[in-house]
Amino acid sequence: MNEINASLSIHEPVTACSGLGIAHVGAMIGGLIHRGRSLSTVLNNLCKLIDAATQGHSSSVLLFDRTHTRIRHVIGPGLPPAYNALLEGRPVNCDKWPPGAAADDKAEAIVSRLMADTLQEGTLLSLVYGLKSCRCWPIGSLSGESLGILAIYQHETNSAAPFHPALARQLTDIASIAIERTRSHEALKRSEALLAKAQRLSSTGSFCWQVATNEITSSEELHRIFEIDQAVPVTLEQMATRVHPEDVPMVRAMFERARSDGSDLDYKHRLQMPDRSVKYLRVVANAARDQDGQLEYIGAIQDVTQRRLGEQALDKLRSELAHVARVTSLSALTASIAHEVNQPLLGIITNASTCRRALAADPPDLDCARETTRRAIRDCQRASDVISRLRALFAKKSCTTELVDLNEATREVIALLTSELQRRGTTLHLDLADDLPAVKGDRVQLQQVILNLLLNAAEAMNAIDDRPRQLTISTGRDEGECECVRLSVKDAGVGLEPKDVDRLFDAFYTTKSSGMGIGLSVSRSIVECHRGRLWAQANKGPGATFSFSLPQASESTPHGGYLSASRNPALAECAVENS
Amino acid sequence: MTIAVSLISLVDDDQSVRESLPDLLRQFGYTVRAFAAAHAFLESDAVEQTRCLILDVAMPGMSGPDLQQELARRGLRIPIIFITAQSNETLRAKLLAQGAADFLVKPFDDTVFLEALKKALRES
Repeated sequence: MNEINASLSIHEPVTACSGLGIAHVGAMIGGLIHRGRSLSTVLNNLCKLIDAATQGHSSSVLLFDRTHTRIRHVIGPGLPPAYNALLEGRPVNCDKWPPGAAADDKAEAIVSRLMADTLQEGTLLSLVYGLKSCRCWPIGSLSGESLGILAIYQHETNSAAPFHPALARQLTDIASIAIERTRSHEALKRSEALLAKAQRLSSTGSFCWQVATNEITSSEELHRIFEIDQAVPVTLEQMATRVHPEDVPMVRAMFERARSDGSDLDYKHRLQMPDRSVKYLRVVANAARDQDGQLEYIGAIQDVTQRRLGEQALDKLRSELAHVARVTSLSALTASIAHEVNQPLLGIITNASTCRRALAADPPDLDCARETTRRAIRDCQRASDVISRLRALFAKKSCTTELVDLNEATREVIALLTSELQRRGTTLHLDLADDLPAVKGDRVQLQQVILNLLLNAAEAMNAIDDRPRQLTISTGRDEGECECVRLSVKDAGVGLEPKDVDRLFDAFYTTKSSGMGIGLSVSRSIVECHRGRLWAQANKGPGATFSFSLPQASESTPHGGYLSASRNPALAECAVENS
Repeated sequence: MTIAVSLISLVDDDQSVRESLPDLLRQFGYTVRAFAAAHAFLESDAVEQTRCLILDVAMPGMSGPDLQQELARRGLRIPIIFITAQSNETLRAKLLAQGAADFLVKPFDDTVFLEALKKALRES
């Protein structure tokens, strides 16, 4: 208030327009707007300035709502609050009431005397409060919108003194500017608040990096993510101190590259906070040129820690589910495993018995003893191989990444499955491509997928009696756009029902009477973790073909580290565990 | 020495069984011929001479029970001792009902095996 009173040097009567010090009013109001005062405060002060300059008068500003049809708010510090309150919410197109007339005509409406016989409450109240006359001027925006009304009431009974039109126009112009500026200022603040809120909700901070000067402009949320005091401007050095030590070389390389070739940035890295906690960030930035042609990056940094933790929990669950699936297929294979082990056991027992008898003979048959002992040892080795294969396939262990030859992996699985397939009367046809490129991944997980597909195929042919139960495994280079290796398992079974195709890979979905329905779902997640895909197709003839394809391992395949692993959650898990 | 002239035939797709069992039987003076598949046995002259057939249950192509049926169809009443690596009570009962002399689950020891063999030969 002091600032207003201090500058008030306007004591001339209202008719003396030149003496109102309109320039001072404008400067005062401009100052308030500039300082970001609210619209109410600004208009309140405008009215006070007018009232102080026009003795015997009280002014008010009637603000319209967004539809320009109702009075939303009345500011009139020199008028009875109850009177102002009464006007709020009223329609502005009232033809008899002066403010309405002003708005409708968009021209000055003058009523020299508020008539007692008017029925409008506003008019009656005008009399009750001793308001004798009122002059109204429309306040319009630059674009011609009706923003509101400036009303100046006179307390004296004399007729409305002539009010210089130029003064009225200047006052409504000031009001108009005040309303528009304050509103746009408020809209800006609202949109800033909205943006800040959106950044907070999405844990995304934004920044602008002037490459030449290393200057960083950043949002509040960026400060929060990096845990840097809001009051302190962010610097690259400061951000660098937060980068996880293991990711420093990668982040440095990214920035060096950006600096040199101006390419867009899109990478993930970790932060290590002062309390040793780790945050996972995703950084995306586009290179642009500022008005001086200097390279600058405008980008966003998202804190994806929660998502990463969720993914890790999901991966853990998935690997446990995969283990359940393995154990399930283990129980399906029990009979076959017994067969695989019992065969060499019989060999061992029989050879040992024969050897004992050969040694007990007179004279001892040493040649026979030697030969049977050799065979017993060989059969022990064979039984032990079966156990090792089983252990490799079914033991619960963390995943490893290595070069895998799918042909070899397939042969190992078949070695375990042969008698199972035989038991089911299935004939197996192998069509493995020569010099198949290796893939990179977890051998046991991939063998699990092959095993699941083979067991499913054999299962699908259980009820088939009118045609050979033929099962074909083929491998080859995929003819797709990527350099991929494909493995297909083709059966001559019951085939795919169209209604099942979409749900085949859902967990716990099964068309079989036995089984939990997790085999295909787990298989798909394993394949996808290896950046491959798994799909099913109906055959032209009877049966179905399940295939998966995986990217070939190449020399340039990145090794370990968060950067490469981040594209592959399952492998990322390994990378983190192994590190 | 009637035993010495008794031909024992073995049909099993597993090589270690085809190697070990005949050697054991030879220790006892039996004459043994081993076949890797049912067809190989059927197509040989051993069919006429065999006094006892040691027969694996699960084999690619013609299985042990299939061979049993085929021999019955041909009117050949050779005592059969089934051997299998998969214990299966239903199958055991079925095969014994179809005339099998015995049903042994691998691995079995030599005395059990020889007892079963002697019994089968006595019955023939």
